[in-house]
Amino acid sequence: MQTSSDRRPWTFYVLAAVFAVYVLFLYGPMFCIFVLSFQGPQGGLVFPMRGRGIFWFVQLVTQADTGDMIGAITRSIPLALIVMVLTVAVSVSAGLAFREKFRGAGVLFYLVVASLVAPGYVLGIGIGLMFQVFGLSTDWWSSALGAQLSWTLPFGLLIMFAVFGRLSRSYEEAARDMGLTRTATLWLVILPIVLPGIIAVALFGFTLSYDEFARTLQTTGGTNTLPIEIWSMTQNVTSPSIYALGTLTTIFSFVIIGISLSAVALIQRRRTGRLA
Amino acid sequence: MDGRGTIELVGVFKRFGDGTVAVDGVNLKIADGAYCCLLGPSGCGKTTILRMIAGHETPTEGEILIGGENVVGLEPRRRGTAMMFQNYALFPHLSVRDNIAFALRAQGIERKERYRAADAVIEQVQLTALANRMPNQLSGGQQQRVALARAIVTKPRVLLLDEPLSALDEFLRLQMRSELREMQKRLGITFIHVTHTQLEAVAVAEQVVVMDKGRVEQASSARGIYADPASPYVARFMGGQNVLSGVVRSSGDGRAALTGAGGREFELTGQNRQLAAGSAVNFAVRRDEVVLAKAAAAPALGVNALRARVTMTEYQGTYVKVTLAIDLAPGEMNGADEFVAYVPEADFFAKAIQIGDAVVASWQTGSGRLLTGDANAFPRH
Amino acid sequence: MVPARTRLTLQVLPLVVVLLVFFVFPLLIVLAVSFFHYDDMGMKPGFTLENYAAVLDTGLTYRLYWSMIKFAVMTWACTLVIGFLVAYFLVFHVRSKLIAIGLFLVCTVPFWTSNIIRMISWLPLLGKQGLINSALVGTGVIHQPLQFLLFSDFSVVVSYVHIFTIFMIVPIFNTMSRIDRALFEAARDAGLSRLQTMLQVVIPLTRNGIALGSIFVVTLVMGDFYIVKVLSGGGRASILSAVYDDISTLLFPQAAAQSVFLIIIVMLMVGIILRVVDVRKELVDRQ
Repeated sequence: MQTSSDRRPWTFYVLAAVFAVYVLFLYGPMFCIFVLSFQGPQGGLVFPMRGRGIFWFVQLVTQADTGDMIGAITRSIPLALIVMVLTVAVSVSAGLAFREKFRGAGVLFYLVVASLVAPGYVLGIGIGLMFQVFGLSTDWWSSALGAQLSWTLPFGLLIMFAVFGRLSRSYEEAARDMGLTRTATLWLVILPIVLPGIIAVALFGFTLSYDEFARTLQTTGGTNTLPIEIWSMTQNVTSPSIYALGTLTTIFSFVIIGISLSAVALIQRRRTGRLA
Repeated sequence: MDGRGTIELVGVFKRFGDGTVAVDGVNLKIADGAYCCLLGPSGCGKTTILRMIAGHETPTEGEILIGGENVVGLEPRRRGTAMMFQNYALFPHLSVRDNIAFALRAQGIERKERYRAADAVIEQVQLTALANRMPNQLSGGQQQRVALARAIVTKPRVLLLDEPLSALDEFLRLQMRSELREMQKRLGITFIHVTHTQLEAVAVAEQVVVMDKGRVEQASSARGIYADPASPYVARFMGGQNVLSGVVRSSGDGRAALTGAGGREFELTGQNRQLAAGSAVNFAVRRDEVVLAKAAAAPALGVNALRARVTMTEYQGTYVKVTLAIDLAPGEMNGADEFVAYVPEADFFAKAIQIGDAVVASWQTGSGRLLTGDANAFPRH
Repeated sequence: MVPARTRLTLQVLPLVVVLLVFFVFPLLIVLAVSFFHYDDMGMKPGFTLENYAAVLDTGLTYRLYWSMIKFAVMTWACTLVIGFLVAYFLVFHVRSKLIAIGLFLVCTVPFWTSNIIRMISWLPLLGKQGLINSALVGTGVIHQPLQFLLFSDFSVVVSYVHIFTIFMIVPIFNTMSRIDRALFEAARDAGLSRLQTMLQVVIPLTRNGIALGSIFVVTLVMGDFYIVKVLSGGGRASILSAVYDDISTLLFPQAAAQSVFLIIIVMLMVGIILRVVDVRKELVDRQ
């Protein structure tokens, strides 16, 4: 039996349809390149499928014309890990400071917002020029790292604002009541409570770096990161190997996302005991 | 009792960064092992006082003494106080047992020892079955018990409770109220309990401190506050009293004769202040000591009597709350106070009082109490 | 104990250093270079307004700004409508909180994957022999493949909407989640229709989220050059793609002048939105 207030309004069905179309729009194209990457040697860039197999994946790692894929990956992943660690450390530290009042908080906030919205490519040019001015050579672990941090830190900080905004101050006061020092309160109370938020910052730090393109293009020096390798492929490779690469990095991203979200879900479940 | 739980506030003043004065010169003494309630509307400064005793705020001026020692500037943990927070502040990432043992962990007590101490307290608050649960898996009442256990595990000499019952529903509130009282008796330590609910304060506390606008209006026993309010504000805030005014005609020998508007005559006893003839004073009359009689049946108006009309009746179980509109004398203005009589249930129905009835309200001379302080101080609702 | 001021300074210091070294300083260098001389041999320090004159002198610049603003407005409109409807559905129509979070994550997951891959994933769909054209021709709806689907303004906007809508959904979702459900009942009691409730209650209350999302989307479109470069068919279709071409030919000063202009315009737009809405309050003091 349903009462009238239990019945869904017609708008529910309209909006559900909008939502479904949006999700299709979101995932459909990705699914297409996923499917097209598993073609045979005669495969092309469009449907219909010509043959089946993992030919283009093999091609990707064996063929020279697809560039230094392995090298790019061995740079992109360590870079993403470094960015992740720095993003977590710096944004948690600054986020904690923003909970209190300090001089210049307003200016710093707008600087963060500006860094977030400034055209990344221009920033990359500036960083490249800056290194040139100082006679330094650009590289993925120096200039590109800094360029990426100017993008991931604002994101990390915004997440920490949201996380700390929801964190009641009485936790800290309770801990101080019990005689914890400020440092002990941080490690034993605050950080464990906001752990899910920190994982989210880590996820953002890793993936934003791993996929970063605009800021990295002019700052990575002679050796490419993965997105730039893919970019140069879009300029000169016209075979499904580019789809194969897309499929691989997307799967990798999904694994990272899956691990992060599972970790968050696990923590929440432990805290609420909900069997979700 | 060795006096370690005595609390004294001397000239405590607190101004916040934005210039608001939260506590405006408070002097207060709370006996060791007492159950004290700080009572007042929100924004009256009661929570700020609690937080200053705990060490989460620093007074702008004045001293706070715990056990005779000035604790201003001392770290919270060195004060021998423990605080129970309004929303309990239970750590969501720790189990019940770990939450309770947490303070002991901070003291560097080894795991086995602190679990033993925690388990003892857990038993005291009857949570043994839930010791391994996480806070979010508990009901409100259970969370409150965990918070209580966590606060007392360090054996504080003073327990500070910030609106401890406000997050609970009515039924649990009554239950936890008596549990808090029992726990305080068993532990024998000082409890300071902040609340904005009058009935809660008088039900649990030995000492009630009524506050308004950062000042202490009255600090007294629960009965003292309710039955013998010091000021018009306290009388109005606690309820149970009618506030009236008059001009002193004569006074002496603990008696005072007053004249109210329209020539009404009132008498007060039991007050030993010398009142100047011709000065305006306020006094309170207990609502449950007001006797109503139908105007037709009433003899000519004597001392301590008013003519009035019944405007509302509200059944309360053991008594009926009868609200009256006093018949105004020529030129008299309608005051902001309502005049109420608590009529015993049987009496009310025997007299068949109806809305609109003309009645005479009267009381014994001993029922009136002189009030001092601002006649126009009304509680904000 | 460390004094609070020293401690707070140390806490924000890393952030300040990164922002100064990798944000403020590089932009100052771009500003400086925009005044440099250049010739066939390269650039020389100096002070000239020639680069700005060169930028402002060509009709191309204005055409590029016009096309970029067109992209920004179209993308903003599409992402706003989609973002609002999706957020509205998730917040007010999905009853289980768990399912709402799940569906929200479904929207968010692609954000954590590569934008470049997401951009090229339109190629097999929109091309002349792509899925959409073959389907339309196959079913007889059209006889000739549609040309405007790929390498056109259309494909650029499609890709922008594809990638940037999440930046609209998240802020709107956040502000909407904080709306008290009782307001709907109050609105119904006051006799407001569903549409009136949305227009007069929900939209005003989600204003901050909409503003924040708009900042993101507009600046992302203005800051893009690779999507427009690939999907518009290789022509110069935005300021940054022009800057990209200048950089490729080492015309740094002119690229810098062009960039300075762009940044000023972007910051002005953001400034206007910030005047309308207190974004800081929205982001920092959320309680």
